[in-house]
Amino acid sequence: MRFTHEFRDGKLGRALADELPALVEAGRTYKLMEVCGGHTHTIYRYGIEALLPDGVELVHGPGCPVCVLPMGRVDDGIAIARQPDVILTCFGDMMRVPGSHGSLQEARSLGADVRMVYSPLDALRIARENPDREVVFFALGFETTAPSTALTLMRARRDGIRNFSCLCNHVLIEPPLRALLDAPGLQIDGFIGPGHVATVIGAQAFAFVPGEYRRPIVVSGFEPLDVLQSIRMLLAQLAAHRCEVENQYRRVVSWEGNPSAQAAMAEVFSPRASFEWRGLGSIADSALRISDAYAELDAENRFSVPGAQLADPRECQCGEVLAGEIKPWECRVFGTACTPEHAIGACMVSPEGACAAYYSYGRHRPVAETV
Amino acid sequence: MTGAGPGVGVPGGDVHAGGGAHAGRCVTCADAAEWMRVVEIDAGNETARCVDAHAHSETVATELVGAVARGDALLVHAGVAIHRDARSTAPEDTADG
Repeated sequence: MRFTHEFRDGKLGRALADELPALVEAGRTYKLMEVCGGHTHTIYRYGIEALLPDGVELVHGPGCPVCVLPMGRVDDGIAIARQPDVILTCFGDMMRVPGSHGSLQEARSLGADVRMVYSPLDALRIARENPDREVVFFALGFETTAPSTALTLMRARRDGIRNFSCLCNHVLIEPPLRALLDAPGLQIDGFIGPGHVATVIGAQAFAFVPGEYRRPIVVSGFEPLDVLQSIRMLLAQLAAHRCEVENQYRRVVSWEGNPSAQAAMAEVFSPRASFEWRGLGSIADSALRISDAYAELDAENRFSVPGAQLADPRECQCGEVLAGEIKPWECRVFGTACTPEHAIGACMVSPEGACAAYYSYGRHRPVAETV
Repeated sequence: MTGAGPGVGVPGGDVHAGGGAHAGRCVTCADAAEWMRVVEIDAGNETARCVDAHAHSETVATELVGAVARGDALLVHAGVAIHRDARSTAPEDTADG
């Protein structure tokens, strides 16, 4: 298939990989963090780590919004779902994320009306079809997804849909990156930037990484050759002592991003003063809430929620995985007590979570599919 | 990205978790989006019916990418187009995929 198979071409992949050793200084260690869960999945699925020269290590970042959602917010969703005449809607993987007393999926098995949707617009359709029920969309995701929620709330207001509201858990990419970069002792040499977040906010949004922290970043597409080329571009920057934002995903990403999507977000959302991230703690201005102008569509105004801040299970080391401090298999419960079927930590829930990706394509499939 | 990227004759070919070829993946976790081709426009509702490479059809909101034309390639995330590829509007591209 055009424009897809080209980016999975094995010969090109090996040719790209063959160029990497020349960019690497003997004896030096390079730690490159892929921010996005989609990149993590590609890296494991296509065995990209096996193509890298000695000394080049990929570190898996906090770019899976399900994985970074704290348990307290799951509990808030469950509390709403249990209320009479409520239909709670959410994306697929959100169903299985463990809260302090079970998941939304388990709440459904106990009688709550919890429904999986592909788009927030599907949730709005459910509200139209059920005017006697309160329909709540459990919104989460980075800047790629937030415009979809914004558009949905704008349509709900425009069309006078009064039985629809949103529990907003949207998060922003810059604050956690800053938190990681500010962490003492963190040794990340460069970043593979999230391509679809950048489609919305533009490559320019990552200028602070080289500008303030002196680390190169390459905005990357999601096919294996995209990721390999991005790694090559990062290593080339490091070899030349350059430190820039580069855009590998030029077929989609512009420097400015999508101004209409940015405007929709600005109309519907306001920054939260603080939001708790699993593994990273509370980070100021790192998430979005429904703006005062759309307050009537904010589920947090319509329903009482526990709003508790809860610590992760003691045995779970998702936080250290998300901060790039340990590899998934170094977690004490990886693959034993914590598996995709019985996840303790959120990183094992989502297929894009670092632990689930490694479990699926690494530990239990030692011969990875390679490009 | 898992699965066969659809890439309906357009650059990229990333995936989503809708009802098409990539059902089962979480659209938000993967930061995933899918190339789809516009086959029918509903300008009044600012939507378009689009198909992916596997002939899966869905209605896509188009407000965020401006006016679209039949044959346009849209990058779709969670039912909403977030990018339009103006280079892919040539009719001959539509047959691909």
